[in-house]
Amino acid sequence: MIGVRNLGARVGAFHLRDITFDVPTGRYGVVIGPAGSGKTTLLEAIAGLTPLVSGDVSLGSRAVTREPPEERGIGIVYQHGYLFPHLSVGENINYGAANTMPAAQEVTRRLGIVELVDRHVQSLSGGERQLVALARALARRPPVVLLDEPFSALDPKRRALARREVRALHREWGFTALQVTHDFTEAGLLGDVAILLDAGRVLQYGAPDEVFRRPATPYIAEFLGAENVLAGTVRVLQDAPPDFITGDATPGTLVPADLAAGYHALEFEAAALKIYTVGSAASGSAYAVIRAEEVSIARTAPATSARNVFRGRIMELSTLGALARVALDVDGTPLVAALTARSADELALREGEEVWASFKALAVHLC
Amino acid sequence: MQTTTPSRQPLHRLISVVAALGSSVLLIFLLAPIAQLVTRGGVSGIRAVGVDADLRGALLLTALTATGATLFGILAGTPLAYFLARTRSRAAGAIAAVLDLPLLIPHPVAGIALLLVLGRESVAGSWLLKAGLGVVGTPLGIIAAMLFVSAPLYVSGAREAFARVDRRFEGVARTLGDRPIRVMRRVTLPLALRGLVASGVVMWARAVSEFGAIVILTYNPKTVSVLSYDRFTTFGLSEAIPAAAALVLFALIPLIVLRLLRYERRLDQPW
Repeated sequence: MIGVRNLGARVGAFHLRDITFDVPTGRYGVVIGPAGSGKTTLLEAIAGLTPLVSGDVSLGSRAVTREPPEERGIGIVYQHGYLFPHLSVGENINYGAANTMPAAQEVTRRLGIVELVDRHVQSLSGGERQLVALARALARRPPVVLLDEPFSALDPKRRALARREVRALHREWGFTALQVTHDFTEAGLLGDVAILLDAGRVLQYGAPDEVFRRPATPYIAEFLGAENVLAGTVRVLQDAPPDFITGDATPGTLVPADLAAGYHALEFEAAALKIYTVGSAASGSAYAVIRAEEVSIARTAPATSARNVFRGRIMELSTLGALARVALDVDGTPLVAALTARSADELALREGEEVWASFKALAVHLC
Repeated sequence: MQTTTPSRQPLHRLISVVAALGSSVLLIFLLAPIAQLVTRGGVSGIRAVGVDADLRGALLLTALTATGATLFGILAGTPLAYFLARTRSRAAGAIAAVLDLPLLIPHPVAGIALLLVLGRESVAGSWLLKAGLGVVGTPLGIIAAMLFVSAPLYVSGAREAFARVDRRFEGVARTLGDRPIRVMRRVTLPLALRGLVASGVVMWARAVSEFGAIVILTYNPKTVSVLSYDRFTTFGLSEAIPAAAALVLFALIPLIVLRLLRYERRLDQPW
């Protein structure tokens, strides 16, 4: 386990304050945050490379706050590798692996860098350096591995390979990992626990899916890439029947189990939009978060179970790779949908045209 | 894109000409005396090393004492330089400032100050004398004078060399199981080595050329600088030239070493 309690650290004028989270033993944690939020400082504080001004760190069952880095049983990988420039690639990988040579050889093979071992580090590309730094940290088979954007310089093919191998080694060797990333996809692919960090504080932490779908604040929602964050007013629909949303038990339906969990039917009003959802929110001011990929677009009024159906005009249509982003104006309120470029082509969408947008009640998160 | 208007071109040209002239005058001013000395006394200086036992002895004494001072400076100054490079405290800042003092005071004054601390009448000097280590009028005095004026150069250069080694290299090494002393041996020193050697060479060169502090502490036995001065005051300019020229040629050794170091592969870049 990586256990961090009320951790405070200072580097120059920057402060980490009151950081608390747990990554259970054998799990993979991801730290997400903007540049300058303190992600690297957090890893260094856990590693014992930055002194704490408050709080405690425990690794596994040991409190290590007062232990030096060499006794913590950790491996650290920096974004820039920090390979020792006076040593060859092989010497770098074996630097701390005198007692774990088979592991060093295995990780070198699995990361596909066997042919690099005799090279000097100055001759490596940025991506190759990251792979060697990964191998060097993993070669000791440390129980805890701290990774600071370890795949950022890799080309897409090698990134996929490295991610897969690191995840596989993580499962096979059972180490606990904590990785810093800017990449939400990576966070979703790798993480069992997501920790959102901003300005030296933890904004939210939990299962990645939970954090992505249920951001605690509109700021977090926007930070995580939610494009529809609407300010408005919630009203609890006290008299709504259990089948209020659609009348059946498909996703998006308020079913008895939800009611038992304390959920109730809700109406959220943002300007001209009336959105129906379910949740535990009380009446009053709130923000509704709807991820763009949850919004469907149709040419005709959809025969769908979705409770929220609106007619809007396409204000902007943009394509990025395989995805299309459709910005709508719904009675003066902006609403963004994301669909595949193929779907956008099939629908023959054009700016200025009117289309139907729909999303399920459970796609709406209130915060 | 920035462009130069035609009206400004003559002014730019004038500034360039003045700058080039100034630089040339300075260069000639610096090189002319040395060139003149080597031209007039270089051959006789080399010949004198073969026939002049006093000059040969002075050169040997200078080389040995400068090497002794440099070795002591490296041994004692390297840990201090590392501390100064890695510590951001007021105390470290104060120490760094104090270390520059020997470079700022006139060297005869440094000699007088050393005499006060290491002279026969002083506490330390009398202890050393009882231990059989006389300072005044001995090679030890020369080493002390050289150390005083040149060690700050080594510590300052070594501090820069250590500061250029990103501490994350050391952090990584510690997470790989090394204790700090082992990290120093396996990572920090190899990465700072080029800067440390360059600083040692500069210290040695400065020690070789020292005169003011040495002449106060130990006039005899004579280093080359004292011998040149002695011959100038006793016999005149022409007798001083061979010894002075030999000292200049001697000083070329560290210059060549520094040049070689500059062309060596850089080892202190983060990778």
